[in-house]
Amino acid sequence: MRNLIYWAAALIGLAIMPWLVPASWVVVLSKMLIAALFALAFNLLSGQAGMLSFGHAAYFATGTFATLHLMQAAEAGLSVPTPLLPIAGMIAGLICGLVCGVFATMRSGVYFSMITLAIAELFYNLAPNMHDLFGGEGGISSFRLPWAGITFGTDMQVYYLVAGWTALATALLYYYTTTPFGRLTLALRENEQRVRFLGFNAYQSRILVFSVSAMLSGLAGGLLAVTNESANYVLFEIGSSANVVLDTFIGGSGVFLGPALGAVLLTGFSYTVSDATSLVLLYEGVLFILVMIYAPQGLGGALVALKGPILSGRWPKLVAPFAVVLTAAAGATVAFVFTVELLDRFFSTEHFGRMHDRQMLLPVEFANHQWHVLSPVTWGIPLLLAIASVGLFRIGIRRSKSTWSEVTR
Amino acid sequence: MEFVVISALNGISYGMLLFMVSAGLTLIFGMMGVINFAHAAFYMLGAYFGYAITLILGFWVGLVISPLIVAAIGVAMERLLLRPVAAHGHSHQILITFGAALIIGELVKVFFGAFSVPYQIPQELHFAAFTVFGTQYPFYRVLMGAVSLAMFAMLYGLLQWTRIGIIVRAAVRQPAMAEALGHNVPMVFTFVFAVGAWLAGVAGALGGAFFTTNPNLGLDLAVIVFVVVVVGGLGSIKGAFVASMLIGLISSFSVGFDTSLADLAGLFGLRAQAEAIGGLMVLKLSSIAASIPIIIMLIVLLLRPAGLMGERQ
Repeated sequence: MRNLIYWAAALIGLAIMPWLVPASWVVVLSKMLIAALFALAFNLLSGQAGMLSFGHAAYFATGTFATLHLMQAAEAGLSVPTPLLPIAGMIAGLICGLVCGVFATMRSGVYFSMITLAIAELFYNLAPNMHDLFGGEGGISSFRLPWAGITFGTDMQVYYLVAGWTALATALLYYYTTTPFGRLTLALRENEQRVRFLGFNAYQSRILVFSVSAMLSGLAGGLLAVTNESANYVLFEIGSSANVVLDTFIGGSGVFLGPALGAVLLTGFSYTVSDATSLVLLYEGVLFILVMIYAPQGLGGALVALKGPILSGRWPKLVAPFAVVLTAAAGATVAFVFTVELLDRFFSTEHFGRMHDRQMLLPVEFANHQWHVLSPVTWGIPLLLAIASVGLFRIGIRRSKSTWSEVTR
Repeated sequence: MEFVVISALNGISYGMLLFMVSAGLTLIFGMMGVINFAHAAFYMLGAYFGYAITLILGFWVGLVISPLIVAAIGVAMERLLLRPVAAHGHSHQILITFGAALIIGELVKVFFGAFSVPYQIPQELHFAAFTVFGTQYPFYRVLMGAVSLAMFAMLYGLLQWTRIGIIVRAAVRQPAMAEALGHNVPMVFTFVFAVGAWLAGVAGALGGAFFTTNPNLGLDLAVIVFVVVVVGGLGSIKGAFVASMLIGLISSFSVGFDTSLADLAGLFGLRAQAEAIGGLMVLKLSSIAASIPIIIMLIVLLLRPAGLMGERQ
């Protein structure tokens, strides 16, 4: 019963979200949902089945291109209801997943990860050469056709299409975890040999899990095709696969909606910050490593773990050490971002070129202020801040750990 | 005939370079059970540091110092990143090295820009070693091959005939037992990590001057090195050697072939139909040369799933 309330609340939240954000952000919401669905599909394979795939973008992008081809066919006259377009992505993802899964699941553990990476790289190398399928440099584009009186011309309508499919797929994924095969998936992660002893064909089961994950990744890709109306082979690059790995593990792969949380946060972060800096991937990578070391169950897992202290009423004890840790983290973040942004601007070709022309060291402009390269202010402040923050952070982490074990005893 | 000989020589020197990188990777995996995603990033760092130091102190100084810096970074990574999460299991460690590889790639872009840098072999090495079939064969390729061979001999000698070598081999096979016998196994781990990173740094400082040096190296080479270890079998240095040679030779040979599947179909009189299908059928071997290692890997997986030389479990 409680679950139903959560689901209903989530659906209502999804429905009213686009009205609460500025108009330019509605398309970002769609992108967030697509990334969330992709991360959930990825987690089915990597978190639940324990098969870490580093090349999942291949199935996502295959879905995107398949859907674009269907959209082009619809333009040419084939009668396809627009909301059903992403099904092409599902089917393409499923087929691709079956074929690649046969190879990839032959090995397990690190071999599996390396094979998935290699398969994604193979797609990335072959794609620019196959112009009919992937459109070369320019890629493929199409447009959404109206259906049943809805034009699908506004961001809002596209958002509801994406949200509907995402909600459906998430519900299906949740239902999957309650089925016997969902349990078998967890068993594959825990002890594959036992699964074999129980009489199941582990190889076939792994192919099946791989294919389901690829199918839903293809669905997410199809939704991207409908949202963006175009794509090119750059979708196959390893950066896309890296993004879904970051999303999933920052959000927490042990919690069902953890990857979705991570995807939403990182997509939002990337959209907010990418105007100001080109180092978004660096910050995401550092955040990823920090989460892996200090919050190994991910942000979602940490939130779920907080449920215990909150329900037992002993959470006030955690406020002080957590505040120390957060302050220290903020300080270290400021120092790090400042230093890296300054270095980025100093070492950029324009700045170097200007310095070469004038044969002297020039100050770097950042945040409406000129920072002189050799001035102690430029280096001293971030350095002191960093040292103080790291020291405070370590103290805070120690206190947090001991307080946590007290509170959860 | 000329093509065969030149391609074979090229393939061998490229294969030796691959071996230098994959030997370190396979050692680290055999020892820690962790596949170091950042290993190809070490190669990239070796190339970039080599470039930077060459600008100030010259090529040979760069060749010596750059791998040492990379080894230091390797030690730092092992201590600061891998040790704290060792308790959480192997997949956690793999993910951390993945994050490290991403960060290293981005930092390289900050300092050196997003495009390739002009790291070139010095003028004094720009001569021909010998002439074969009227074509001059560059000395630098011979140098790369010779250095790789020397590294392999040194590594083999170190492991087989020295006291440190036997401790390392014991720690690789049975870390708990080696620790129980009183050896400082964590120190051995750090040492092997440093040696692996150093090897990758040497390969980078050498190879980066000859081949391109760009921020995507960390990833492009990672895929090829991973293919080498999957084909050769992780944990086996001999397997890494055989697989590196195989991949190096096949890559070199395939660049020269303009054949495609349609040509193959032509042997059966089906050329026109194959060309009508287009797409994959008319793709020339030379244009997908970068994908050949991956296709080899898929074929080997079908025929011998355990890799060519098997691996220690």
